[in-house]
Amino acid sequence: MAADRTAEGAVATATAAATGAAAPRRRPLQPHGRATPYLLAAPALLLYGAFLLFPLARAVQYSLYDFDGLTVGTFVGLDNYVAVVADEGLRQAFGHALVLVLFFSVIPVVVGLALAALLTRAPVRGLPAFRTVVFLPQVIAMVVVAVAWRRIYAPDGPLNTALRAVGLDGLARTWLGDFGTALPAVGLIGTWVSTGLATVLLMAGMARVPRELYEASSLDGAGPVRQLVAITLPSVRPEMAVALVLTTITALKTFDLVYVTTGGGPGTSTTVPSYEVYRRAFELGQVGSAAAVGVVLTVLVLLVTVVVTRVVDPSRRDER
Amino acid sequence: MSAPTTSRPASPAAAGPARGPSRGSLAQRLVASAVLLVAAAAALGPVLVVLAAALGPESPAAGGGLHPENFAAAWEQGRFGEYLQTSALVAVVVVTVATVASVLSGYAFGTMDFRGREVLFLLVLLGIMVPAEAVVVPLFFDLRTLGLTDTIWGIALPQIAQSIAFGTFWMRAHFRTTDRSLMEAARLDGAGPVRILVSVLVPVARPAITTLVLLSFLWTWNDFLVPLVMAPSAQLRTAPLGLALFQGQYTQGTALLAAGAVLVALPVVVVYLLLQRHVIRGMVEGAVRG
Amino acid sequence: MERRPPRTTAARAAALLAAAGLALTACAPGSGNDDGGGGSAGPTGPVETDISGLGDVTLTVWDQEVRGGQDEQMTQLNDAFTAQYPNVTIERVSQSFDDLSTTLRLALTGDDAPDVVQTNNARATMGQFVEAGQLVPLDAWAEEYGWRDRYPESVLQYSTYSDDGAVFGEGSLYGLPQVGEVVGVYYSRSALEGLGLEVPTTWDEMSVAAEAAAASGLTPMLLGNIEGWPAGHVFGVVQGATVDPAEITELGLGNPGASWTSPENVEALTTLASWQEQGWFNEGVNGTEYDAAWQQLTQGQGLFLIAGSWLAPDIEAAMGEDAGFFAPPPAEGAEGVATTGGTGIPFAMTTAAEERDVAAAYIDFITSDDAMQVLADTGNLPVVDTASYAPESGLLADVYTAFDEVSTQGSLLPYLDYATPTMGETLNQTLQGLLAGEVTPEQAAEALEADYAEFTSSGG
Repeated sequence: MAADRTAEGAVATATAAATGAAAPRRRPLQPHGRATPYLLAAPALLLYGAFLLFPLARAVQYSLYDFDGLTVGTFVGLDNYVAVVADEGLRQAFGHALVLVLFFSVIPVVVGLALAALLTRAPVRGLPAFRTVVFLPQVIAMVVVAVAWRRIYAPDGPLNTALRAVGLDGLARTWLGDFGTALPAVGLIGTWVSTGLATVLLMAGMARVPRELYEASSLDGAGPVRQLVAITLPSVRPEMAVALVLTTITALKTFDLVYVTTGGGPGTSTTVPSYEVYRRAFELGQVGSAAAVGVVLTVLVLLVTVVVTRVVDPSRRDER
Repeated sequence: MSAPTTSRPASPAAAGPARGPSRGSLAQRLVASAVLLVAAAAALGPVLVVLAAALGPESPAAGGGLHPENFAAAWEQGRFGEYLQTSALVAVVVVTVATVASVLSGYAFGTMDFRGREVLFLLVLLGIMVPAEAVVVPLFFDLRTLGLTDTIWGIALPQIAQSIAFGTFWMRAHFRTTDRSLMEAARLDGAGPVRILVSVLVPVARPAITTLVLLSFLWTWNDFLVPLVMAPSAQLRTAPLGLALFQGQYTQGTALLAAGAVLVALPVVVVYLLLQRHVIRGMVEGAVRG
Repeated sequence: MERRPPRTTAARAAALLAAAGLALTACAPGSGNDDGGGGSAGPTGPVETDISGLGDVTLTVWDQEVRGGQDEQMTQLNDAFTAQYPNVTIERVSQSFDDLSTTLRLALTGDDAPDVVQTNNARATMGQFVEAGQLVPLDAWAEEYGWRDRYPESVLQYSTYSDDGAVFGEGSLYGLPQVGEVVGVYYSRSALEGLGLEVPTTWDEMSVAAEAAAASGLTPMLLGNIEGWPAGHVFGVVQGATVDPAEITELGLGNPGASWTSPENVEALTTLASWQEQGWFNEGVNGTEYDAAWQQLTQGQGLFLIAGSWLAPDIEAAMGEDAGFFAPPPAEGAEGVATTGGTGIPFAMTTAAEERDVAAAYIDFITSDDAMQVLADTGNLPVVDTASYAPESGLLADVYTAFDEVSTQGSLLPYLDYATPTMGETLNQTLQGLLAGEVTPEQAAEALEADYAEFTSSGG
């Protein structure tokens, strides 16, 4: 599954923060009793505090220790973070994550814009069915997606068979085993997963644009491209921000996809931060370092959310 | 379940293209139809590849034709029956607990005024964004100390917390926009807070709750990292995890692996196809609503 | 919480978080570790070899014997054990080698740790577990059961560590293997005959055969290296034909005094790269799965497959009489063959084991003479008195011959990933890079040296 709780939540948070989340729209009820709201919120807050906030604080604590997961750790201050910056392998992993952002996020949003614009301007039959189909990759477990694509990319898989069938034998290769193609091959899986989400989101945004705007600008002699730039893009800014944030976070958090398709290989050409967290903690026994990578990843997710939301949609307003 | 109409306008995501005179010329529409077909084919292609592989011959010796027996073999050899049961159990626990807790807390945050409300809600929002990767390492060691690893609870509790964060946000947003007059009337009739919630708010909030249940179910069913880390002793495996390990263990060809992949994806795909409007609305609105 | 009002909601939330952080118990991570049965070393009392009187016991055993013949022997031996000791129930969990390595580290320190587990001899696994006090030294039971007479020292050294895990190859005994292993060359008899050739006995003849296969459109060497470690076994064979066995042993055990950047090691790496350049391997080795490679051999798509003896039952099942196996040719001018091999993955006892006498009895049972017979009957290679179990003919007869030849007249070299906690990974990545032409043999040697030197200079 691509857009998970984190991605959805991040967008929600950015939205809420931008729209003054704390100001309720309606007059709150007079409390029944002072304790009532606390009692109502208690189960949620306790579970959430114990199994999300507390572990987050623990992660920060762990990241300050040299800890192998087997014996008692020793305090090393910020050494793990220094190592994160200095470690070439980790810098590589974050670099790969950025490449994946291009595939998971930028390409799907561009493709989604084109698709949505076309389908909004020239309505055709079967749109609801189309929406159901293109959104389908979003709901399938990433592990299943990975197994499917591993099959597609296999040396004797459908992709190479198709290339050979049209005489392009020279292009056939082991996509996931080739240093040059492994990362883009993983990225393309992300493109496949994210494009439907971006399309559906942007179609929803474009459906809000009043037709009269297009009609008026047509009368002024504006072509489709100018209409796209002048009318469509400004109108779908919120959805674009959402699509970008959702897919970017998915790209940054990619774990199961890499775990199942390449395991970080060949060499280290497809390592990504979340895979490093897992590998360090549970295969190499560098738990402190793993926690530090996890904390850095969290900060990165927060930053991306805030920056993308601000840049793409500076006038975040609550329209509904 | 059919959702009763609400005072909220149907979301654009669920609505078709804007009504009005169709403006596309014939040529435009032909192009659009072609693009639509290509895009749909691209989305379905990999799904069909897996289906074809799952129904294909297990080994050259098995001969041509369709081989539905692969599903039975995968069910048996990959222990998918057991894994799907574990997945279902985890999903039921997570969805039930998280939904009830989220409705209660969303009710408090959305309709009541109390000290510390903003601070607490901001904390919830912060937690929503924390990727599981960051907390899974310490969680494993702390849950192990509590003796919860390798139990359903070890897999469920971290996911309950994540679902609650999103669910609280989602239900609060919904309850904030609920008509207050009904609640006031119930208050005057002497109803307590719980009765107001159960008899006035929940019926109106049914579509929102449905969406929350669906999203929690999808997220939980498809999760990989938490079950992978929290159940190391292999006694308790969810379906996606079982699939990944089946790939490492099963050495004889691809048909059974593909059949296993279909089995793992099937429940979610069926639910999605039946209730796709709710799912899409949730994914789209969950993000866009402020 | 203090009463001073922070200025903003965000500041207040931050203060709350900080307080939560401060409220964390000041204990270092790991201090809450459950160390099973008190983490004590050795038996909890005097050793008892008759376990039938110990009451009802459940023994949890984790193994990685998932392939056909391996799975069969495990099932048979477990059944026989519980038939002999009805008071013992065995809970068996079987996972692939890769999965077991991953989950074991997580499970070992938990409540649900297995009692008996197969753990790789490498420093990354057995070494670290010994250091962390997670495994029980078996010396007391070895004494009682006479394991040191049962096994030659050359076998036991690979599951022997000093109690702090620093020294590998001497100290206490931490596990017993069931099977022997040797990495050699599988081949298709019909393909070799089709080329009009005999089984190669020198490296020159290997080259001739490979060239002939390539000319006829057969893949000379099949290799599936998507997992990363299979190329290490191929390299072990090449290295054995190029580098002095004593030096390889130092490098393999992670003991100081050798060097990866020696001319001979660079030459071995160069040879492996040249095989790839000459097109001896199948297309895209790094994208081919290990199991797909041996399946290609059984489907007649290649001539040679350099791999471990553990594949023999599967290959024989698929190819029958057409499959053959030989030990790699000796290095030029060398007396005997030197190739990777030695022992299968040993069974160890964890400190979580409460009924240690039962665990020890189990380890004794599955490595006894009767067990060796079961292993032989199921197509495996017993590690003790191997030659006496050799079958009459077929692929397994070849495997036994090769193992016997190497272990009696040649050198069985340790797996290179034993060396350091990170060497397995470094080796995988380096060889994948070498085969893809991403790194030169010299760079590969330097990468391996860096890993080895960092470990040996830090005193292990």
